[in-house]
Amino acid sequence: MENETNPSSVLRLSFGRPKAIEVTDLTVAYRDQPVLWDVDLDVPEGVLMAIVGPNGAGKSTLIQAILGLVQPAAGQVRIYGRPYAEQRHLVGYVPQRSSVDWDFPTSALDVVMMGLYGRLGWVRRPGRRERELALESLEKVGMAEFADRQISQLSGGQQQRVFLARALVQDARIYLMDEPFAGVDATTERAIIALLQELRAAGKTVVAVHHDLQTLEEYFDWAMLLNVRRIAAGPVQEVLTDENLRKAYGGRIAFLPRVTNGREPEAIGTQGQA
Amino acid sequence: MTIAQILHDLLFDYTLRTVALGAATLGLVSGILGAFAVLRKQSLLGDALSHAALPGVVLAFLLTGSKEPLALILGAAVAGWIGTLWMMAIIRYTRVKQDAALGIVLSVFFGLGLMLLTFAQKRPNASQAGLDRFLFGQAATLLQRDVETMAVLGAVALGVVVLLWKEFKLLSFDPGFAATLGYPVRRLDILLTSLIVIAIVVGLQTVGVVLMSAMLVAPAAAARQWTERLGVMVVLSGLFGALVGLAGAVTSSLVAHLPTGPTIVLYMSAIVLFSLLLAPERGVLARARRQARQRWQFAVEALAVHLLHHEGRPEEAMESELSHLEAELRWEREFARRVVREAIAGGIVTRSGNRLMLTPLGREMARQVMVR
Repeated sequence: MENETNPSSVLRLSFGRPKAIEVTDLTVAYRDQPVLWDVDLDVPEGVLMAIVGPNGAGKSTLIQAILGLVQPAAGQVRIYGRPYAEQRHLVGYVPQRSSVDWDFPTSALDVVMMGLYGRLGWVRRPGRRERELALESLEKVGMAEFADRQISQLSGGQQQRVFLARALVQDARIYLMDEPFAGVDATTERAIIALLQELRAAGKTVVAVHHDLQTLEEYFDWAMLLNVRRIAAGPVQEVLTDENLRKAYGGRIAFLPRVTNGREPEAIGTQGQA
Repeated sequence: MTIAQILHDLLFDYTLRTVALGAATLGLVSGILGAFAVLRKQSLLGDALSHAALPGVVLAFLLTGSKEPLALILGAAVAGWIGTLWMMAIIRYTRVKQDAALGIVLSVFFGLGLMLLTFAQKRPNASQAGLDRFLFGQAATLLQRDVETMAVLGAVALGVVVLLWKEFKLLSFDPGFAATLGYPVRRLDILLTSLIVIAIVVGLQTVGVVLMSAMLVAPAAAARQWTERLGVMVVLSGLFGALVGLAGAVTSSLVAHLPTGPTIVLYMSAIVLFSLLLAPERGVLARARRQARQRWQFAVEALAVHLLHHEGRPEEAMESELSHLEAELRWEREFARRVVREAIAGGIVTRSGNRLMLTPLGREMARQVMVR
């Protein structure tokens, strides 16, 4: 194997670390159409991992299956060795921004406080302590001054940061994010990636659905290529090979990266879609 | 009739007091629960559920032979419930989408209800008279014990909303996230829908199955216009509902042959219309004014940038001529004049003869625009 002659530093670092997420033989189907087929995935603690693949590859579905939002037809998911239902306090979630109606009558601060509802339990309302935690979290994403702003008056990038703040306030060890960079401006993208790297530095594990192969290597250290089946998973350089990309994207890729044996990757991009 | 007289009757006239209390209760309960239905994009759910309640009412009457309100209400609730489950099943197990499923349930149940109603009315028994009040409502027939039943049901529903406020808020905004936190989203969904069934049942006798959905949707739609906070919206929605209930009851008591239910709905529609047009931030007029202002602002900025661009250049004299603007910025003459007027009024430019000059303020603005 290539790894043995040219071991990646990331791989070495991850060796012996506990598995934050362990997905085994996961199959998910909508009606009779398989969306994920027999997927295995180990995510070592402390990596910043991207899930990449073409449209309809099942990237969001994988995140949702890990979170128990969709029922798998087969297979299982473990969070630090136990089912999600027992470990939900360890997991923070950033859904796709477009999954909610931003015209909902509520403020940015209010949305962030929703991240604390799980800890509050039934009936109890958030109080001053929750407000403070939520404000702190908004500050971390540079949104403190927008705390009382109605959420429809925020730009797309600001809305995304509110969602991030809501996940941060959960104070989790694992963060699952569905397309955190979708439709955000360059400033927000930089702010988000800085935040993700901060999380990793603090020993957290981050898994994000990502669309842009171009920034993959720069932003992430771990990757999974997915197209209904798992194509590859591991350190980014090992995953991003010509062969893997061709398997994942078929003929739809315009320029393939050359990353074999330490050579610098050249133009990476996708044509039209993905 | 004087105001004092109306107030006196509201307190001491049995019929008016009963009708007014019933209508206000109905408005309050449906206004509050309707707010959640509207925010969850289930405005038509109430319509389907209220139509679905009709066969339940008639069947309950046929089975028990009485018009005991509790029996009829139970019948309505059960039928509404079955309608809900049917609809959810259709969406889940077929490829039919929600809007079509709503339509199917609504028409099938309503058709069945009308058929049963005709059958019941042909029976040689006088007691079925007045059953058709469930179609269009007939508040005048409300009795004190009806109102008591409505009040108890409404109080239960509102109590649940107060207790589960945070849960319902999260469910309405982001059910997926709620599920990851461990909330039983499906059960909460069914609970909230059941509360809406209660609201419908509370309103059936007063406004009837046909107009009931207006009482769920309209107060919420109006309230949404005035606020950006869920709590304020829900309270306002309930208040709108109660207010029009009261107003409808009083009005129909003053004018002969004016039915209460439709009067209530018309009052509510007036509030909706008013809110849609005139609400300060979200109203149609406010938005139009905002857009117009932005358009002028943009034009004035374009003018300032144009003048700054040519300032101190040999062509300045020519470029700052009023008549040149029309060609350069492709503005109609009238539009150009108006922009210049706005710019002068705003202290952005001064005009001497046919030439325009930027003021220091205008120069500053143009620079800022260019950086942006």
